[in-house]
Amino acid sequence: MRFLPLLFLIHALGCWAIHESDVGTVDWHKKLVGIPLYKSPATAPRFASVDDRNVILTASANNVLAALDAKDGTVAWRYVFDPEDRIAGFYQNGNTVVTLSGPGGAIARGLDIKTGVLTFERRLHANSEGLLVDPNDLGKGIAIGTTSQDVYTLTNGHTVTRLDKSTGKPSWTWSGQDQSSLTLFTKLLTTTDTVYVIGVSSSFASYTLHVVSLSSSTGQVLADSEIPSSIVNASADLFAFVHSGSAFAAWLENGNARSLLLSPTLKNKQAQTLSKQSFEELLDVGLSDLGLFVGKGSRGSTVINLGDNASLGSTIGSSDASAIYAGFHADGKPHIAKSFWSTSTEKYILEVNALDASAPTILPLEHADVAHFTLHVASSGEPQVFLTTESGTVQLYTGTQVQWSREESLATTTLAEFVELPEQISAEADAKGESFTHRLLRHAVQAKDFPRYFSSFVRRFITGSYASATSAATAAADGKLSRDAFGFRQVIVTASHVGGKVFGIDSSNGDILWSRALGAGVTPSKIFTIKAVSDGVDPEVVIVTEKRSEEARDTVVFHLNALTGEDVAGSGTTIVRGQGSDAFLLDYGSKFIIILDDLQRVHFYPDNDESRRAFTDNHSKLSLPSLASKNGHTVIFGSHFAFNEDAGEHPVAYRTWELPLPKDERVQTIDRAHRGPVASLGKVLGDRTTLYKYLNPRLFIAYTVTASKSLCGLYLVDSAKGTVVYQVQLPANNGACNIQATLSENWLVYHYYESEVPSSDVHRTKGYRVVTVELYEGQGPDDKTESSDMSSFDKAATDVFAFEESYIFPHAISALAPTSTKFGISGKDLIVATKNHKIQSFPRRLLNPRRPHRKPTSQEAEEGLFQYDPIIYDDPKRVISHTYEVANVQKIVTAPALLESTSMVFAFGLDMFLTRVAPSGTFDVLSENFNKAQLVLTVSGLIAAIMFTRPMVQRKRLREKWYM
Amino acid sequence: MVLRSLKGSLCLLFLWFATTIAIDIHGRVEWNDVCSNATELGRAKAILDSGSEYAGSITASGDFTIFDVPSGTYLLSIITHDYTFDKLRIDVHNPADAQTVEVRPYIEGTPLHPPSTVILPYPIKVSAKGKFAYFSPPDSFNLITMLSNPMTMMMVFGGIMMLATPYMMKNLDPEALEEMKKEQAKVAGVQKAIASGDFKGGISAIMAAADEATAATVAKTPQKSGKSKKSKR
Repeated sequence: MRFLPLLFLIHALGCWAIHESDVGTVDWHKKLVGIPLYKSPATAPRFASVDDRNVILTASANNVLAALDAKDGTVAWRYVFDPEDRIAGFYQNGNTVVTLSGPGGAIARGLDIKTGVLTFERRLHANSEGLLVDPNDLGKGIAIGTTSQDVYTLTNGHTVTRLDKSTGKPSWTWSGQDQSSLTLFTKLLTTTDTVYVIGVSSSFASYTLHVVSLSSSTGQVLADSEIPSSIVNASADLFAFVHSGSAFAAWLENGNARSLLLSPTLKNKQAQTLSKQSFEELLDVGLSDLGLFVGKGSRGSTVINLGDNASLGSTIGSSDASAIYAGFHADGKPHIAKSFWSTSTEKYILEVNALDASAPTILPLEHADVAHFTLHVASSGEPQVFLTTESGTVQLYTGTQVQWSREESLATTTLAEFVELPEQISAEADAKGESFTHRLLRHAVQAKDFPRYFSSFVRRFITGSYASATSAATAAADGKLSRDAFGFRQVIVTASHVGGKVFGIDSSNGDILWSRALGAGVTPSKIFTIKAVSDGVDPEVVIVTEKRSEEARDTVVFHLNALTGEDVAGSGTTIVRGQGSDAFLLDYGSKFIIILDDLQRVHFYPDNDESRRAFTDNHSKLSLPSLASKNGHTVIFGSHFAFNEDAGEHPVAYRTWELPLPKDERVQTIDRAHRGPVASLGKVLGDRTTLYKYLNPRLFIAYTVTASKSLCGLYLVDSAKGTVVYQVQLPANNGACNIQATLSENWLVYHYYESEVPSSDVHRTKGYRVVTVELYEGQGPDDKTESSDMSSFDKAATDVFAFEESYIFPHAISALAPTSTKFGISGKDLIVATKNHKIQSFPRRLLNPRRPHRKPTSQEAEEGLFQYDPIIYDDPKRVISHTYEVANVQKIVTAPALLESTSMVFAFGLDMFLTRVAPSGTFDVLSENFNKAQLVLTVSGLIAAIMFTRPMVQRKRLREKWYM
Repeated sequence: MVLRSLKGSLCLLFLWFATTIAIDIHGRVEWNDVCSNATELGRAKAILDSGSEYAGSITASGDFTIFDVPSGTYLLSIITHDYTFDKLRIDVHNPADAQTVEVRPYIEGTPLHPPSTVILPYPIKVSAKGKFAYFSPPDSFNLITMLSNPMTMMMVFGGIMMLATPYMMKNLDPEALEEMKKEQAKVAGVQKAIASGDFKGGISAIMAAADEATAATVAKTPQKSGKSKKSKR
């Protein structure tokens, strides 16, 4: 009975749902893992084999642990960690991958290497006790017992725990001196019955090696010893390894490589020194099991053996500071690979050396910006290299060929913009002044397509296979970029945080049309479409970026052709020397961008007379909200513009207002409203009165935090004079303010967690809430102030009243956005990215704040209102991402298609997902249920009936005439 | 175990107190017909309240542990992609004693007070209630469904009757035919009167009709007439 209202509701809202056959045609999903964390050996990618299948295990900057199939690069499985639970390292233990994550390595987990299913989870200390260190992997480690396969963990730099290999149950814990001591343990080694904990103690100028040996069965301290040594960098210069059953510690001291054989009693304190050659850096390339390291010196790199008898091995390569090394060994046979710029071939190459007389294998590389690679050599001798570039591309080379490639920088996308494509006709059209013969010839050539056209016409006529709102947006036959019938095919231009990488993505299938790296140190901050197809040229986008170099931070603008990714005007124009504070797109007939520098001067892009004139004519009406720092915290202020003599050619923005806030209330961020066409200015009620929407185009959302009272504020502010139109204070969730809100037309929706239940007096309930607010003009129905065209200085500008209602929401969410359509006539649904990895749509009717708290009257029913129910049901039919796991969505962008009924929804964050939604149903195309066969059958049945009855009727008439 | 690790360290004794005023909550997802193993379940978490502080992952065996929960009232939810679980109310009264942890059923949207009188056993046992069905079945063309459509059936029946009536009339008894014609004329009279808006005539025609069957049809007519009037306006 409980679900009866739900059933009614589903019925009332119409059954709009996804068919299984639409999967993959109307939507696509890119499952990403993020850029590998290659800087630390504990998280760097490595090869593993599972049941004859090779996978590459990698932990990523997006806090994901993933297994990539070595065959085709697909994600075999992935485990997405929570943001506050950073991965510190992962280690393979037979069929289990053991991970350490969280502050100080608070949590140990075991994951099945084949499926990624969690086998155990064990907390080693509370998050609040975690020791925060930089780099993140310092003071944490895992070692696997040689015989028992049990897991030994080193956490917080001083605690060692032995965990059961399958259940994670701890059998003993040893804790070194407390955190305040001067010793930090960084390495863990296991031999048959001894565990060595190796760390450093700080002394005057450097660190001294400190080793503790523990009994592996009981965890009792066998010996504790300081070894005379001098280590400068504890995270980079200290190594520990087990070579043929004995434990060693190795370190770099004054340019000399030293190593020490460890025994349970730690009596031996005489380290052997490799004094023949001095090194700048010692590298563990993955051959430490054999005692092999690479020493990088001023004269070249050398393979050195720090095992039993420290010795120099073969010399590999000349002096090359940029060279990257990786090693691999199977059956005691080591291989070392090195990537470098080859002056002889003028190419970036990778050389795999077997450390014997055999000739090295040479791999020519596609990318010059290699950041890291991992080597694997098959038993056949064929090398496999898993490579990561600075700009986030990961590739697998098998032999000398690229087997597959993934663009993982997509997982760091921060900006996305839909760009419409030109029509096919305009793409094909010839010059206007074509001669008669030329046209004749062109038509003759095109006539060859006539039989195909005719056959397809006949087929279409008979079968009735028309393009519908759920058909695939197919590419044009000639492969040119052109839009489909309904405008579902567009280019999504995305900009990534890492490496300033920009992609053009085909919205019909998610393929990457083009990609560009804007250069190292470039961080995109804004993206604008400056020219659209309607301007009669190829669409163009402008990306405003901040370029950091050692000397300066500049604001650089990149102007790209959205179809090809090519530069329209030079490769990056520096607009502001120094940091720009904000950028805005203005549209006064022609579109241009204004960028404010830190002195509040206005810079134009494109900087021409047209945009300057347009700005001069309109600047008095312009008011822009910005954030600025004042007395160490952020304030919101509004700016107007003036032409000032001192600033020379640049107009200057000056502050006209600042949002006054209580003493300890801090500004978090601001969010501008979703602008779109407004189809109707009011809402006609059942009693034929009208509520006029409050459509102030200058409204923006401001979020604040009051830490002392554990409150979060949300304000709707008019940017012209800082008037607060609507405000609310919401409870913080454990001190964190994570309100998600969106404003579109006069509709504000916000989502928060209601936790404010006093523990002694539990009357209410906790949970997620969504509050929907509609703002209307004046004091009530039929009160019209024309807010959309009104000046902010009008007295009636704040004459507004609100309907609001709160609902219990079923999910935690990470992003939300309203749908947007071409003319704004279709209803608006709320698209939400939930924290359980789904994209779900919630109909506006459900979120109507005017839903009556009783049975609706006939007038209310006429308006489509139904009774209020505090719970918003989780309707799986409205999960637009259905079975896809769309993880960690940061933002949802919606864009109109050519069909008024349909809106495109693009979600990105870690994964990328695109689909189409029709909030009011696809009223402008032939319905999916339209059955041409049925229509044809009925019509032909009627024709047959007429043919059959006609002679009968004629006979009867004739008879009537005779016998009248 | 905790004690041993901190032996001899006075300053960490406080820490020991800090950790002992919280309890680890244990629970288990029981496999059932809806969800029979961890691979099917996929990535799942058990969270208390919003999960920002207290959460535990569900392991391959279905077990979960939420670490270091201090005393208080919490709502436990299981977060999965494809399955629904009931919510539970967890009360931790005395973190030192696992026996005092109370588990109660909870219905979403209801106030936490008064608590349900039903006490469920601890350690927590939960099982999947349902699997989400994201897709609606496609509408396909089917001759039988088309023919079984009442509209189509009516049309076909009408067509058959149109053809069959002349023959039926022929075979009818002449007296019965006469009777039927009369009756038809009466009904036609009523309908004609209503159509022309002459209610008086219509009513008198109805009054005149003594036949019961005709009276039955009349019961509906005033409603019909009202509607037609409204639509005209």
